[in-house]
Order: sequence, then C-alpha cells, then structure tokens
Amino acid sequence: MKRFEYHEPASLEEASRLLAELGATAQVLAGGTDLLVEIREHLRPVTHVVNIKRIPGLRDFACDDAQGLRVGALITAREVETSPQVARLFPNLVSAVGQLGSIQVRNRATVVGNICRASPSADTLPPLIADGARLSVFNGNGERSIALEEFFTGPGRTVLRPGEIVTGISVPPPGAHSGRAYIKHGRRKAMELATVGVAVTLEREAGHCREIRIALGAVAPTPIRAREAEALLRGEAFTPERVAAVAEAAMTESTPISNVRASAEYRREMVGVLTRRAITLAMEAIQ
Amino acid sequence: MSQIVSMTINGEERELALEPYRSLLDTLRNEGGLTGTKKGCDVGDCGACTIIMNGKPVNSCLVLAVEAAGAMIETIEGLQLAPDKPHPLQEAFMRYGSAQCGFCTPGIIMMAKALLDENPNPTEDEVRFGIAGNICRCTGYTKIIEAILATAADLQRAKSA
Amino acid sequence: MTIHDKTFESKFAVVGRSVKRSDTLEKVTGTACYAGDVALPGMLHGKTKRSTVAHAIIKRIDVSKALALKGVKAVLTHENVPRVLHYGSPHPRSASVTRDQYILDNRVRYWGEGVAAVAAISEEIAEEALDLIEVEYEPLPAVFTIEDAMRDGAPVIHDNGLPQNQVLPPVIVERGDVEKGFADADFVIEGEYELGRPTPAYMEPNICVAQWDGNGKLTFWSSTQTAFMVRGALAEVLGIPLNKVRVLVDHMGGGFGAKQDLFQHEFLCALLARETNRPVRMEFTRKETFLGGRTRHPGRIWLKQGFRKDGTITAREAKVLFNSGAYGSHGPGVTNVGTAALTSLYRCENVRLEGRCIYTNAPIAGAFRGYGVVQTYYALDLQMDEAAEKLGFDPAEFKLKNAVREGDIAPSNHPIVGHGLEDCIRRGMEETGWPAVRRHGRDTGVKRRGWGIGCEMHGSSAYPGIKEQGNAIVKMNEDGTVTLLTGTAGLGTGAHTALSQIVAEELGVPFETISVVQGDTDVVPWDIGAFASHTTYMGGRAAQIAAADVRRQVLAHAAPQLGATPEELTIRDGVIVVEGSNRSMTLAEAVAPQRGMPAIQLVGVGTYTPTKSYSFAAHFVEVEVDTETGEIRVLQVIPVHEIGKVIHPIAAQGQIEGGIQQGIGHTLSEDYVIDHQTGRSLNAGFVDYKMPLSMDMPPIRTIILETAPDPGGPYGAKGVGEDPIIAIGPAIANAVYDAIGVRFRRYPITPEHVLAALRTKKQEVA
Repeated sequence: MKRFEYHEPASLEEASRLLAELGATAQVLAGGTDLLVEIREHLRPVTHVVNIKRIPGLRDFACDDAQGLRVGALITAREVETSPQVARLFPNLVSAVGQLGSIQVRNRATVVGNICRASPSADTLPPLIADGARLSVFNGNGERSIALEEFFTGPGRTVLRPGEIVTGISVPPPGAHSGRAYIKHGRRKAMELATVGVAVTLEREAGHCREIRIALGAVAPTPIRAREAEALLRGEAFTPERVAAVAEAAMTESTPISNVRASAEYRREMVGVLTRRAITLAMEAIQ
Repeated sequence: MSQIVSMTINGEERELALEPYRSLLDTLRNEGGLTGTKKGCDVGDCGACTIIMNGKPVNSCLVLAVEAAGAMIETIEGLQLAPDKPHPLQEAFMRYGSAQCGFCTPGIIMMAKALLDENPNPTEDEVRFGIAGNICRCTGYTKIIEAILATAADLQRAKSA
Repeated sequence: MTIHDKTFESKFAVVGRSVKRSDTLEKVTGTACYAGDVALPGMLHGKTKRSTVAHAIIKRIDVSKALALKGVKAVLTHENVPRVLHYGSPHPRSASVTRDQYILDNRVRYWGEGVAAVAAISEEIAEEALDLIEVEYEPLPAVFTIEDAMRDGAPVIHDNGLPQNQVLPPVIVERGDVEKGFADADFVIEGEYELGRPTPAYMEPNICVAQWDGNGKLTFWSSTQTAFMVRGALAEVLGIPLNKVRVLVDHMGGGFGAKQDLFQHEFLCALLARETNRPVRMEFTRKETFLGGRTRHPGRIWLKQGFRKDGTITAREAKVLFNSGAYGSHGPGVTNVGTAALTSLYRCENVRLEGRCIYTNAPIAGAFRGYGVVQTYYALDLQMDEAAEKLGFDPAEFKLKNAVREGDIAPSNHPIVGHGLEDCIRRGMEETGWPAVRRHGRDTGVKRRGWGIGCEMHGSSAYPGIKEQGNAIVKMNEDGTVTLLTGTAGLGTGAHTALSQIVAEELGVPFETISVVQGDTDVVPWDIGAFASHTTYMGGRAAQIAAADVRRQVLAHAAPQLGATPEELTIRDGVIVVEGSNRSMTLAEAVAPQRGMPAIQLVGVGTYTPTKSYSFAAHFVEVEVDTETGEIRVLQVIPVHEIGKVIHPIAAQGQIEGGIQQGIGHTLSEDYVIDHQTGRSLNAGFVDYKMPLSMDMPPIRTIILETAPDPGGPYGAKGVGEDPIIAIGPAIANAVYDAIGVRFRRYPITPEHVLAALRTKKQEVA
C-alpha cells in the first residue's frame, strides 16, 4: 500500500476543515472497505486519510413505523442487515445490504460509505432511492439535506463539495399497503458486484397501483429511476400485459455499458426480466 | 510517522509501533509475529485474513492497524483451549478432512467460530451464507460445511448434557 | 453428503483408513509454516515492475529515480541480470517444456510481464520505487488469438525456426486406417469446440524468500510443487553448483499444476538478495498471481467421428489447437498429452490426431490440473453425447458400450488394467436411477432441469512424456519409531499422510509411529515434484519399497533373538511374532541398543520408476437452467471414481470434491479475459474471476470404487488428483442439453450464451 498521512479529527468541524484544506487527495475513512482497496490497487491517489470514527454523533440508528429509518454515517451494513425492525419495514434494504460483500466486509463497511462511493452498481442505492431516501450533509457550518437520487453525478462522483461530509441517511416510513423488493443479478450468489440491480417499491389501492418507484443499478453512470416505466403503472391495474410494458419501458430507460461482467444487451434484457420479477415480489410483499 | 498503539491480542495486551498505513493483517503477521492469519488477496475478497475484532469477524487486510487501538483481537493462534487441547472446530476440521492446502483454513475457522457464537444451531444454508466470503480452492466446501455443522451439533449436545 | 463405500472394508491395518492427517494440526492451529511466514533479520522486500504493453522492445529503461528513493537497496533490469535462456518449467531437459525464457529480456511478449525488480526496506517503498522506473517501449505488433498468430506476416514471437509461431512441431498420433474407418461409417459427426482460459487461482499467492550465507550458498524458501526443479534451475541460471542451493518448502497453499513452473520473481529474488547481501522476500499480490501466473491452455478443437448404426466408433479424427501465450512453459507436454488422450476413453481403432500449440502475446498457459485432457475430453464426451442421440441411444448406455476396456491400448501405449470406466458408468446409473431421471427437454417452465453424464480417464505419472522417478528413505530408530524422508511436496493433498500409511502398513507398525521429513533439498532424496496425479502412485510405491527394505533388515536382526528364521516372522502392530508360536517381541525390544553396543543402523532406500496407470470416472450431474436469465445452476453431482486401492478415503474424497468445484467453475463462470486490442487483463482478481463459492457449490455425493487396482501402485493404488476436474465439465454441458435441448460446444457456457442459443432455437422452431 502507498504511504499516506492519517488524521483522526474529533469533531465534524475539524474533519470538514481538514478535508477542505487538504483537497482532493484527502479521503474520508469510515468503514474503509472501499477506500483501502482503492489505495492498494492505485485506483485513487490518496495522500491523506481522515478517519471519522472518533467523531461523536454519527451512530444514530432508529427504525419505526412513525419516523421511518435513520442511519448514521458510522452504522455498518451488518448492523442494518441484522436489525429486525429494518427487516420488517425495509426488507428490500436488508436484502441489498445482505448481498454487499461478505459478513466480514459488512462488519466494517458503512451504509453511508456504500452511498458515498457512488458506484453505479452499489447494492444499497436502488432500494434506498425507490424508498425516497435523503442524505444529511454537514458543510462546515450546518447541515443540508439532499435527495439520494439527486446525489450522484457519475461513477464515483457526487454533488458533495470540498469539506462536506454525509452524516446520515433517512428514509420515510413505508406507506400503507406498500410492498418493496430488490433483486441483484450477478454470476454468483455472493461476493458479487451487481451486473444489474432492480428495486421496486409500490403501493396498492383497490387492485390498482397507487404509487410505484423503480430504481435501477449498474445500467447507467449512476443509479437511475425508471420514471417512464413507473408512469405506465401508476394508477393502473397490475395486469401481466401492463407489467410487461413497464418492464419494456425500464429497458428503454437504461443505458448500460459492456464490460467483462456482462454485455450492454444482456444487462438491458435483465432489466426487463428483473423489473417484472421485482414488481411481482413487491406485490407479494404487501401486508 | 510511526506511533505506539496498544491492543489486546488473544488475551494479551500488546503495544506495537506502527505506521498508520499498515493493515492490521500485516501488523499481526509482522510486528505481532502471528503468521497464522493469511494474506490471500489483500483486498477483502478471499477471507483468508479473517480475525475476530471486538467480537465481530472482519478482514484484517481492510482494517488499518491504528484503528485497532484498544480493540480486542482474536486470531487463530488464540483459539486453542489449552496447548494440547484444540478448539472443537479445529478438532472437527481435522476429523472431517476440511483442510487441504490449509491456506484458507485459519480464516474459515475464525469465521465459523464467529458464526457459531452468533448462531449456535445453524442450518446448512446459514453456514454456506456465513462463509460466503471465505474462498477455498481445494475442498469444494463439502467437508468444511460438514465440520462446522458437526461442531455445532456437538456443542449443542454438550450444552444440553 | 458423502457415501463411504462399503468396499473400504479391508484386510489392511492402516492403508484404506482415514487416519488423522499428519499435517492438519498445524494447519488448523495456524502454526503451519508457509514460505510467506518466513521472516529473517534485515530482510528486504522485493517487487516486480510489469509491462503495460503486450509486445515491444524496451528502448530505454531508467532506474536512477528509483535508486535515489530513500530505502531502495537494489534495482534489476535486463541490463544487469544474467542473460541465460532457461526452461520456464524446469523438468530437466524433458520434451514437455520449452527453453525460451530469460530472467528479464529486453523485449516483452505479454501485458504484465516483469521488466524490472526492486528491493527496498519496506513493501511500500518498493512499490513506490516501481513507479519511478521509466520504461520506454518500442511497440511491436501483437497477436492474441491462434488465428492471428498463425497468419502469414504475423509477428514472430520466438525465433525458434518453426513457422506460424508454433511452440513445437505438430504432434501427430495415428492408429489404424482413418480413411477406411470413415468409409465404413453409417453416420459421421463433426464439431468444433471452443475452450476458455481458466486459471488455477490457488489461495497462496506465489512467494519466495532468498538468503545467501558467507560461503556463497543460497537458501531459498518458495511456494513450489517442484523443489528440486527450482534448485536445478536456480543453480543453472545463477551458475552455481547444486550443493550451493538449498530449497525449502514446508507447507504450500495450493498449486494445482501451475507451481511447477519457475517464475521470474524466483530468479529475481535470489539475485536481489545476492546484490544487497541481505535476505529478500518477494510476494505476488493477488493481481500479480493472475498476471504473472499460468492458465490452462485456451484454444479450439475440431473433432470428427464415424459410427456404425450399432453405435460402434469406426474412425476418429481431431485437430487440437492450443494457445500457449507468450512462452512455451508446458505447451509441448500439454499438447502431447491432450492430443494423445483422444486415442482412448471411447474405443476406436482408426485414429488420426493432430495437435498444435501456438505462441501469442496472451498470458502464459502452463500446467494446470487436467493437463490438456480437460480440453480434449470435453470435446470428445460432448460429441459422444450428441452422437448417441442421433443414433437413438441413451448417452450413458452409448458411453458404456464404447467405454475403454481391459487390455485396450491406452494413450501411453500400455494395455489398460481393469474395467474401471464401465464400473463407474454402471454404478452411477444405478445410483441416479438412470435413465428415468433424464428430462429430454420436456420441462416447459421458466426454470428447467436436466441430467447429464460425463466420463474421463487419466494417467498417474507423466510417462511417457517424462521418465519419472520416485524416491524414499525410511529409517527405523532404536526405539522402533520410523522416519520417512521424501522429496514430494505437501500441496495439501495429504500425500505425506498417505505415504506414512503405506510405510506403516508395509512395516506392520502403527501409523502414529511414522514421522515425515520433507521439503528440504539438502536432506531428502531427489524428487521430480508433486504433479501428474503420481504422488501416491509413484512416491507411495517408492516409500513402500524403502519400508520393505527396512522390514527385511529388522527381521534379519530379530530372527536370532527369537530363535527363528526371518521367513517365519511377521510384524503386526509393532510386535514381531513367530508365526504359529507364542514367541514374540516388540520392535522396540528387537532394535534397542544392547548393553555396551551402539544402535544398529536400519535404513531402507526405495527408488521406483513407474510407467503409468489409469484411473476412471463418470460424473452424473443435475442442472437447472433459468430460461429468462440464462443462468445455469448445478443442483447436485454424483461423481463415481475408480482409483484402485484407496489409501486415505477422506483425502481421496476431498480431491474429488475440490476438482469438481474447479470444474464447475471453468464450465460455467471462470474465464481469465484479456482485451484483444491491448492484451491488458480485464479480470485479474477474485471479484471478476468468478470461482464458485460456498453458496454456489451443490451437494456432492462421492462414490469411490476399487475395482481395478493397478499392479504398479502401492497396494494397487492409482492417482486421483486430476480426474475429477475432467469429467464434470462434459457432464454439466450434457445436462444443460437434457434441460433445454441446446448443445454448447464451448466452455464457459455463460448466461449470455444460453439466452442467445435459446433465441436461435426459438427462431428455428418458428
């Protein structure tokens, strides 16, 4: 591993100041499971590592019917995965975090870190976007709030400005008669980066789809909402033909690339298959 | 600049002088002299470096040694109950032929220990899920899973007896 | 999950029992010493700089900035290392390998080849120094496929006098009259089979530590399967005698064939240590283990066979084309063995086979479990499955009808011993309820299931390509305990345990009284290395011979003490008994020093020069295909193996289960891929090189038969190391056909291939 300087700020203000001063080659360390790999494999030039683990107040973790979910920046994927409350309200997120690396990785990796890494294939992103998550961002003076789906500008790139630190993420409580699902597609059952990830959250009312959000991972430079597909189902009945049309629309909205993991054509085709399957699973999950 | 960090390794308090960019894995192996923990990939993909840190299994290659300040670390070397008494998992791995080349073995045993600590009576699927981050290239996993399930059953029996 | 077959009940005291392996206590407690666990005072860390082009001349290489970095102790390039052409894989002068490598050359032939090496006081500094080495390349045209490399005007990768970038002259194998055979055929089938590039991906990255003493002697710890070959090659290239090189291998973390080669870093490490007069460790990163490692030979096989209506094979013709990558390594051996294998498995009197191996600017292909036979039997077994259907036979019955039999001439030109393959097929059919389990593509849902059978045979030992030799020394100590000295490496197969069992059996002593000395070329007898499924077969037989030698000496010594002749004595469980009497004494009593006398010297030496035996297997596999995503899942595997006398059942099962894991991998998901524009590797890591892991692996129900013991092996034992990886692939492909009615003439079979084929099939039906 390349040598770097190491900092352990005691407060958000100090961390923010350090990051702003040190510039782009200073990086935040929370779980470290991505950052240390990037340093070791020379994927990112890093001269300063700013460990935020000593900063108080970043370990909020609450989940209930009234407030929804709140996950602080230092909460690990494994904590979320093994929480019965999250499993009850957000099984899609539990499924996603449960497929992130291994248990060993999830004991270190944070959910917020998975978000900030801004990988188009990150597992937590589609379900969180489908559930309307928002990020709290400390900017040196105070906090601002950003909708997760507006957070990403490209692979590894976000709207964060120098010195800004994401302190946590919140998800509104699930709506009545709502169901949610996340399907990850990879070659293996574990230790995979998604070749395609599809999350669907929907609400049913009198046999019709009252609301639906479809979020796709690994098929565009950032995770995306398939809004045209959603519009085809919103207010409509869940007929097989209608669902097939939604799946078709989601395929059209995706702009995947070809790489060693899969061809663009295959990824697009899987968006169709998995969107259909995710809608079915989300329907089945409605209480 | 190297700094002095203290941590408890296998019950023994250690003070180690380390560079901040060194992984806990390298530190255990080099400064700590504990070479049972193996380096198979150094990027968190293979699980050969699995140790238990504050009760949780982690890849020691993905932890900076400085982050382990004050931590309780358990490695394969600390697992034996007494010098001539291997841990039941170690016994089972020998009995079932679960170690071939042995390079993944310490990491898998540590992962299995953490798994059984958390879930003393796992199903086969839960064991497969639990060790999904530990690559073994020799065994096809069959005998590893047999050994973990047999250990769980033995420990359960011992507890109820 | 595993069937312990009843045939394991035996007349033997130690052999055939799953005794506690002698190497596992260290492994499970973390005390086993691997090369990377060696740390020496003052040790430096070495790193290799690797090329970023696939084919080029090094115009200029400037190391001044690297040398100026604080903590850097030495830098090596082609300008300051000995220029000695060597056998990258060092079986001495064998026809299996090629002499075409330099430690560092002024030319690079593949992306990732080492061009310089650094030794520094820390790994981090060594790594930073690599970035400071400036290399200016003059690019040469590069070729990555066999077709491009064979084309007129293709760049010449090695100037060895052969046209079309051939590594060796074509291998031609002819038996009978193939024209007449095809003329006699009622039905002719041909096909072309595409082979991917799997890599062994052993868990322990390549690593070595070198230390020179004041007398100019090199001590060298390395993760290798062939310690004596490493010694020989280092001595030759460094220009020093063999007694000035000591190679140590205690435990090693897997090799699967590939760690028979000598790798660049092994020479570089020794040179860096000499240059700096300090110990040096060089360890591959996982990425380097891909880049600088060895793969199975990718390539293409064209196969044509003629059949009579009754299913008899009348003729077989094949053209085997292997992509050797940038260097020859085991190309000649793999091409010979893989091509010649097509003379057998399924009986055919008229055969014409041609094998070629071609240099390209791809990663180096080398030895990997299955050694050419994985490739050729994949093609052969798939085509047999297809022919069976076309001729109206059940595939298992068809393979049984054509299975190689006792007395048939094997690829090694020796007669086959026993009916191993037939027994395997019959037993598997019984076990699965064949043919009723087959689906014949009748499932109609999204997920469809099918069963397949794949067969193989494989030789123990590399004969006749390499004339091998196993050696052992057995010493009995004056308390009756026994020390076995063997040169065979402990790859993790349990070889040392098996050898100890054989010695214990032969001597009539408890297993626990045997201890093993191994892994030190200064101490143990010469050994060719652990490969070619020969360790138990050949090394075991040598140990048996050495033990028998000691037994003779012991009995001669004990006979007068018991007032009997040696012929009247037997040793059972460490006690020497006069047969038919109640006179006996323990071994310890018999060999103990007498008052005022020194201990007697009891040393037995065994040398065994084998020919070859063949082991057999039939694998039965159930798969499920998702017709929407194209994913194939293996649901269960029933491998049936005939391996002669089984020495350690659990270790033998472990070999089979592990081979199946690697075989499922290369058939469905493992493929080391390079960019065909630049030669750059695209998946040099465990995330994108997709090995099946715990959740992907199906249950495996292993059945081992002992119906065809080989007189050449100890107690009739044969090899098992390579067999399981050969049969599993065709079994999966044939099962996929049973599930969805599509035949894939390739591996890996990816989800994209499945979907594309299903689409084509749909169009054809429409």
